[in-house]
Amino acid sequence: MIPTHYFLILSAILFTIGVVGVLTRKNGITIFMSIELMVNAVNLTFLAYARQFHQVHGLIFVFFIMAIAAAEAAVGLAIFITLFHHRDTIDVDEANLMHW
Amino acid sequence: MNTPLMHYLVWPLVKFLIAFIIVQVLVAAMNWIERRLLGLFQARLGPNRVGYKGLLQIIADPVKFLLKEDIVPASAEKVAYFLGPILPLIPAFIVFCLIPFGPPPTFTVTRVNVGLLLILALTSTGVYGIILGGWASNNKYSLMGGLRSAAQMVSYEVPFGLSIVGVLMICGSLDLVTIVRYQETNAWNFLPQIVACFIFLVAMNAENNRTPFDLPEAESELVAGYHTEYSAMKFAFFMLAEFSMMIVNSCLMVTLFFGGWTLGMFGIGLTTDVLRHMGMFGGILGTLIFVTKVMLFMLIYVWFRATFPRFRFDQLMDLGWKWMIPLALGNIFVTAIFILAGQERLMYWIGIVSIGLAAMYLFKPKPKRAAAPGKVAHAS
Amino acid sequence: MEFAIFFFFAAVAVIFALVVVLHRNPVVGALSLVASFFALAVMYVLLEAPFLAALQVIVYAGAIMVLFLFVIMLLNLQHVAEPVTRPVQQFLGYTSGAAFGLGLLYYIVKYAVFAKLPAGPFVTDARTIGIKLFEAYVFPFEMVSILLLAAIVGALLLSGRQYQKREAAP
Repeated sequence: MIPTHYFLILSAILFTIGVVGVLTRKNGITIFMSIELMVNAVNLTFLAYARQFHQVHGLIFVFFIMAIAAAEAAVGLAIFITLFHHRDTIDVDEANLMHW
Repeated sequence: MNTPLMHYLVWPLVKFLIAFIIVQVLVAAMNWIERRLLGLFQARLGPNRVGYKGLLQIIADPVKFLLKEDIVPASAEKVAYFLGPILPLIPAFIVFCLIPFGPPPTFTVTRVNVGLLLILALTSTGVYGIILGGWASNNKYSLMGGLRSAAQMVSYEVPFGLSIVGVLMICGSLDLVTIVRYQETNAWNFLPQIVACFIFLVAMNAENNRTPFDLPEAESELVAGYHTEYSAMKFAFFMLAEFSMMIVNSCLMVTLFFGGWTLGMFGIGLTTDVLRHMGMFGGILGTLIFVTKVMLFMLIYVWFRATFPRFRFDQLMDLGWKWMIPLALGNIFVTAIFILAGQERLMYWIGIVSIGLAAMYLFKPKPKRAAAPGKVAHAS
Repeated sequence: MEFAIFFFFAAVAVIFALVVVLHRNPVVGALSLVASFFALAVMYVLLEAPFLAALQVIVYAGAIMVLFLFVIMLLNLQHVAEPVTRPVQQFLGYTSGAAFGLGLLYYIVKYAVFAKLPAGPFVTDARTIGIKLFEAYVFPFEMVSILLLAAIVGALLLSGRQYQKREAAP
C-alpha cells in the first residue's frame, strides 16, 4: 500500500504547476486548463484522505467537483467564444472592460 | 501452474491475444461481408473477382494498403498527423479485455467490478484520434469532419450512457458477467428494456459514424471528412479502429440486451450452468453463440447502412438532444416506477406488446392501389 | 510493483502538467492535459476508487477536454500568437508559485505524514456511493443538477447571442 503523503505531495506539485500556469500565461484557454489541473489536484487530495480515514464522503465530494467542473467548462468556454468574437483574441489582458 | 504470475499476467495475456486474433479475423471478414451485402442490397455484384466469391479480398485489401504510397501533406502538423490514426486503436483493442466472451472464469479475460463503466470510459476516448487527424491534416474539409465528429460523438454519448442505466437498475450491477447471469434466470433485457434497446441501437450507430449518421465523412459534403488526407496504412488504421469499435458496440448490445453467451431464458435452455456441465466444449459453444449474436448485429449495421439516407447535421442534433435523451430519461423513470412497485416482470409485456405492434405494422396486408394514380395520391 | 506504477504515472502526470503550462500551442497543451488526467485516473485506481477513475476518464477525458479541443479548433487558436508575458510578471509568478508550493510541501511533511493506513478493505463500489449520494447528499445532488441546468442555459445565452446579431446585421 502506498502511504497517503505520497499522493498528497503529488497533489501539491500538480497544484503548484497550475498556480504557476495561471500567474504566468496570458492565453485564456491555457489559464482555464491550469485551473482544471488545480481542481484535479484537489480531487486527488480528497481521495487520498478518503482512503486514509475510510470515509466515503471524500469520494462524493470528488463526484460533485466533477459535475461542477463540467458546468464551469461549459460556461467558461462560452465566455471565451464570445470574447473571441468581439476582440479576435483570447488574451486575458485584452478583456479589460467589465462590459463587452 | 497456478503461481500468481501465471494467474495475473500470463493467462490474461494469452486469452487477450486469442480474443484479439478472433476479433481481427472478424474485422477482416466483416469488410468483405459488408461489401458483398451492400452489393446484394443495391442489386449489384460487389467484389467477386479475387478467389471464390471474392473471398480472397480479405487478404488482397491489406496487401493493397501496405503497398500503396504513403503521402504526408506538406503543411500537416507532423506529430499529431501520425498520432491521429493510432490513438483510436488503443482503446478499441483494450476494451476486448473487459468483454465476457464465454462462461467465466475460463472464457473471460478479466472481471472488473465496474467493467461497464470502464468500457464506456475507453470508448469515449476514441474521438480524440478523429479530431486530431482532422485537425492535423491542415485541410478545411478534414477539420470540418473532425469538428462534426466531436460534436456528434459527445452528443450521442449521453443517450448511449442513459440507455444502459435502465439495464443497470434491473440487474443491480455494473459487472457484465452478473448482468448476463441475471438475464438467463429472468428474461433477456430486450423484453423489459425494449425502449433502451432501441435507443442503444441508434446511439451505437451514431457513435461509430455509420451511415445514417456518417456526417463526419459525408462524401458529398466533405470529400471524405477527417480522413481526406490519409492514405495507405494510416487510412487502414482508421478503418480498423472503426470496425473494432463496431464489434465492441455489438458485443455490448449482445451482453446487455441479448443474453451474452447464453441461449435460454427463465433458467431453461443453454444457461451458464448447462454450459459448465459440458466442460471445455460448453465454453467453446458459449463463445460461438456469443460470436454468432455479435455477427447478427454487425449485419444489422450493414442493413442500416443500405436502408437509411444520411441525416442533415441539425436533424442529427435534433434527434439526439430532443428525442433520444428525453426518451432515455422517460425510460429510466418508467423502469424506476416498475421496480419500486416490485412488478419488474410486468415490464416484459411492454416488450412483447411493442414487438407485436411492430410485427403487425410490418406484415399488415398492403392496401389496394387506387385505380387512377395522380387523382387520389397525397390528398391530405 | 505498486510503487513502480505510482512513480511512473506520477512522473507522467507531472511532466504533462508542465507541458500544459509551458507549451505555447494550446492544442498540444490540451492533449497533454488529457494524458495527465489519464495518469490521475491510474492514481484513483491505486487509491481503491475504480468507480471514480472511470468517471474521471468519462467526464474529463471524454467530455470536458473534447470541448476544450473543439473550441480551440473552432477558433483556430493555434495560429494566434500569444503575447509574451512581461519579465516582471513572469518572475513574480514563478517565485510566488514556488514559494506557495514549498509552503504546501512543508505543511504536508510536517502535519500530514500518517503512520499507517487503517486495516480492512475500503469499499467504494458504485452501490455504496449511490446509496450515500441519494440518502445523505440528496439536497446537494439536486443543487448540482440545478447548477448544471443553469450552466446549460448560460452557455446557450452567451454563445447563441452572437449568431442572432450576425443574422440581423446584413
